[in-house]
Amino acid sequence: MNILLVLIPVSLIFLLIAIGIFVWALRSSQFENLESAALDILATENQARVETNTNEEKIDAG
Amino acid sequence: MNALATHLTNARQANENCLCFHCGQAITTKHVQEKIHGKLQSFCCTGCSAATLWINDAGLSDYYTLRTEQAPQADASPVDLSAWDHPETLTQHSRFREGFDDIIISVQGMHCAACAWLIDRALSKHKGVSEVSVNAVTGRLHLRWLQATTPLSQLIYCLQRLGYRAFLTQGSQLEKSRAQEKKTLLLRIGLAALVAMQTMMFAEALYLDTSNEMSVWTRDAFRWLCFVTATPVVFYSGMPFIRGMLRELKQKTFGMDVLAASSILLAYFGSFYQTLVGGQHVWYDAAVMFVLFLLVARFLEYQTRQVAYEQSDALARAQPYLAQVFRAGQQIAIPVAELKVGDTLCINPGETVSADGILLNELASFDESLLTGEARPVTKNRGDFILAGSIGSLHSARLQVTQIGRDTQLSQLLYRVELAQLKKSGVLHYAERIARYFVVGILLIAALIYGFWFLKGSQHAFEIALAVMVVSCPCALALALPAAFASAQSALAKAGVLSFSNDSLVKLAKVDTFIFDKTGTLTQGKITRTADRYFVEDQAHALAIACALERNSLHPLASAFPEPSSLQATDVRLIPGKGICGFIDGKEYRIGSAGFSANTIDDGRLWLGDGEQALASFSLNDNARPDAKITISALQKTGLSVHLLSGDAAITVDSFAQEVGILHSAARQNPDQKQAYVNALQSKGHSIAMIGDGINDALVLASADVSIAMGSGAAIAQRSADMIICGEKLNRVLAARAVAVKTQKIIRQNLTWALLYNLISIPVTAMGFIHPGFAALGMVTSSLLVSINALRLRKVSLSP
Repeated sequence: MNILLVLIPVSLIFLLIAIGIFVWALRSSQFENLESAALDILATENQARVETNTNEEKIDAG
Repeated sequence: MNALATHLTNARQANENCLCFHCGQAITTKHVQEKIHGKLQSFCCTGCSAATLWINDAGLSDYYTLRTEQAPQADASPVDLSAWDHPETLTQHSRFREGFDDIIISVQGMHCAACAWLIDRALSKHKGVSEVSVNAVTGRLHLRWLQATTPLSQLIYCLQRLGYRAFLTQGSQLEKSRAQEKKTLLLRIGLAALVAMQTMMFAEALYLDTSNEMSVWTRDAFRWLCFVTATPVVFYSGMPFIRGMLRELKQKTFGMDVLAASSILLAYFGSFYQTLVGGQHVWYDAAVMFVLFLLVARFLEYQTRQVAYEQSDALARAQPYLAQVFRAGQQIAIPVAELKVGDTLCINPGETVSADGILLNELASFDESLLTGEARPVTKNRGDFILAGSIGSLHSARLQVTQIGRDTQLSQLLYRVELAQLKKSGVLHYAERIARYFVVGILLIAALIYGFWFLKGSQHAFEIALAVMVVSCPCALALALPAAFASAQSALAKAGVLSFSNDSLVKLAKVDTFIFDKTGTLTQGKITRTADRYFVEDQAHALAIACALERNSLHPLASAFPEPSSLQATDVRLIPGKGICGFIDGKEYRIGSAGFSANTIDDGRLWLGDGEQALASFSLNDNARPDAKITISALQKTGLSVHLLSGDAAITVDSFAQEVGILHSAARQNPDQKQAYVNALQSKGHSIAMIGDGINDALVLASADVSIAMGSGAAIAQRSADMIICGEKLNRVLAARAVAVKTQKIIRQNLTWALLYNLISIPVTAMGFIHPGFAALGMVTSSLLVSINALRLRKVSLSP
C-alpha cells in the first residue's frame, strides 16, 4: 500500500493543475462568448481544406 | 461547403427573389448593384452594398456562409458620432484598466452567432483594439481599446456601417458587477465539480472496504484527505447557501437555503467529528455532492434570468448625447444634464429629444416609437407638445424646453409603472411557504430522533439523526422548483417568449381571462391598402401618381403605397389634416381626404385627384395579424375568456372584434379606463393576463396578474411586462400558456415525489435501518429523478 504515498500526492497535484487551468480560462474570458468560437472552426475549415488539398496534390505529384 | 459557392448560391437566390444580398429585404424601388466575387449582386440600398464590400475587403465573407439569420439593414448615411469621444461620455461609461480603455456597449441588430463573429473580427482589425468580446444572446459588446490610437467613434462607425446600432448601457457599474457575478458563480461550480470528483474518489476507497480490512491508520488518512478536499467546496463553492442561510435566519424565516446549508454543514461537521473520534462512517462525499448539484441548478436559473433581462433591457439603450442649444444667439453643444427649462433645443433628424418641450417650427415630424410603439413618424405643428424620448425625423426642429429630467412625462410615467409593479410583487412564492414548514419539520424530527435514541442509550444517536437529515435533504425539494423553472425558461426562450420571473409562470397557469390590446397587438400596426377604386382608364398611371406623391413623404399612410413608381413628384407639400399635394409633369395632384383631393363628400376613404376631378380612391386598413384569429379561438377552446380593449372608435373595434372572434370588447379606452376594466374583472375573482404593446398599455400591463408585451412594441410596455413575446408571432402566447400549465403539472409531480420519498424514507431511517451512506445514495437518486422529470418540460409541444 506504500504506492498510495506517491499516487495520492500525484492526484492532488493534478487536481491543482486542473483548477489552475480552469481559473486561467475563466479569467481570460473564454466562457464569455461560446458561439463565435464554434463558428471559427467552420470559418478556418475552408482554408484548412484548401491547404490539405494542395498537400494531397503534392503527394500525388511526388 | 465552400464559402464562395454558398455565397454565390445565396446570391443567386437573392437575385431570383429580388432580395437584398446583405440584409435579405425585398428590393422595392431603385436598387444598387455591385460586383461581388465577379458577379453582379443587387442591394436594397447603398448602405448594404457598402457593408458587403467592406466585409469582402476585410476577408470576412465567411460571414455569409456562417449566418443563420439575415443581417440588419446597413445605413450608410453619415451620422455625427463625435459625442462618443466626448470626455464626458468616456469618463462616465468607460474605465482605464491595465493600459487600455474598457467599455461595455449594448448592440442592437445581432440576430445570430455569425453576427457576434463578424463584429469580433471587424473590430479586432482596428489598430489599438486589444480585446473584443461579443455575446449575441445578450447583445453586449465588451471592448478594450486605446482611445488615443483609435477613437471610440471610429469603432462605433464601423459597427454602424455593418448595420448594427450601438448604445450605451445605463449603468456600466451594474454591467460589470453582473459579469463579475457570473464569473464567480462559474468558478464556484468549476471548483466544486473538479474537487468533488476527487473527494468522491477518496470516499470510494472507504466505501469499497466492505469487510473492514483497511488498517485504522489508512482509513483515517483517507478521511483526512476527504476533509482537506471537501473544505474548499463547502466553504467557497457552498458560500452562497451559507450566506443565504445566515440572511434567512437574520430575518427569522426558514427557506430553502436554511435546509440546504444546514444539511451541507451538518454532513461536513458530522463527518469531521467522526474523523476526530474515529467513528463508523463519514459523509464528506454527500456534502460536496449537495453543493455541486445545488450550484448547477442555481446557475441554470441565473443564466436564463440574465438572458431575459439583458435582451429586453430596451430602456437601457441610450446614445451618448450632447444637446444642441441656442444660447446668446449661438448654437452650442452641452451635456444633457446641463439643460435648463427655457432653453431652445435644436433637434436634428435621428436625434433623440432629451426634454419635454414646445415646437417652435411651423411643421416637424417625430418618431414616437419609444413611447407609443407606433413606428410611423407623427407630424407636429407649431406649439405642439413634444415628449422626451421622441426621435427627430427628416427635418431639424427647434423646441422650447418646458420640463427636464425627472419632470418629463416619460419619467413620470415610468414612476407610475414602477409603483403599480411594486404593488403586485407582494405575493409570496408558495413554494417558499411549503419549504418553511418542511425545514422546520425536518429539523424538529431530527432533534426528536436524536433525543429518542440518546435516551435509549444508543451509541448511534448522532449517526441516525444525521442519516435522517441527509436522507430528507432538501435536494429533491430544493431542485423540484428550480429545475422545473430552469427547463421551463429554456422551453419558453426556444418558443420566443422571455419571462422575467418564475412567479409569472405560476400565475399564467392559473389565468382564466385574456385581455388583448388592439393596435399593434392583434393588428400588425402597419397600414395596408384594400379595395382600390379607379375612375380613369389608366389605372397603373393613377397608382404611380399616388405612389410618387407618397414616396418619402412624412404622411403616415405612405406605407400603404410600397409600389415603385416611375414618376417623379416635385414640390411636394404636406397640408396637415388634409393630405399631400405635389406636381408631376407640371400638373398638380392631391392625395388625401375627399374634399381636398376630389371636391366630393368625405366618406372616410383616401382620395387621389387634381383638386376637382377624382382619379382613384383607396380604403386603408390596419390588418389583423395572420395568427390572431387562430390564437384567439385556441384560447377560447381551452375555456378561457378573451376580451378586447382599444382606444379606437366603437365601429372599428366592434367590426374588428367580430373579425377575430372576440365576444367582449370595449372601445375608446384611455389608460385609466383600461386599468379600471381590469380591476373590475379582478374584483369578480378573475385572474387576468393582459397582452399589449404601447405606452398607453404600460399601466394596465402593470396591474394585470400576468402581463405580456409584444417585443416590437414600446420599451415602457416591455418594462412593465412579466413576459415579452419576441418577433411578430401572436401564437407564442399559446406556447407560453402551454409551458406554464405543464410547469405547474411537473412542479406538482416533483413536490409529490419529494414528499412521498421523505414520508417513506424518514421513518425507515429513523428506526436506524439505513446507513448514512445509503441515505445519501437515496437522496441523490431522488434528486436525479426530479431533475429528469423537469427536463421533460423542454419537450412541450409548442406548435398550436
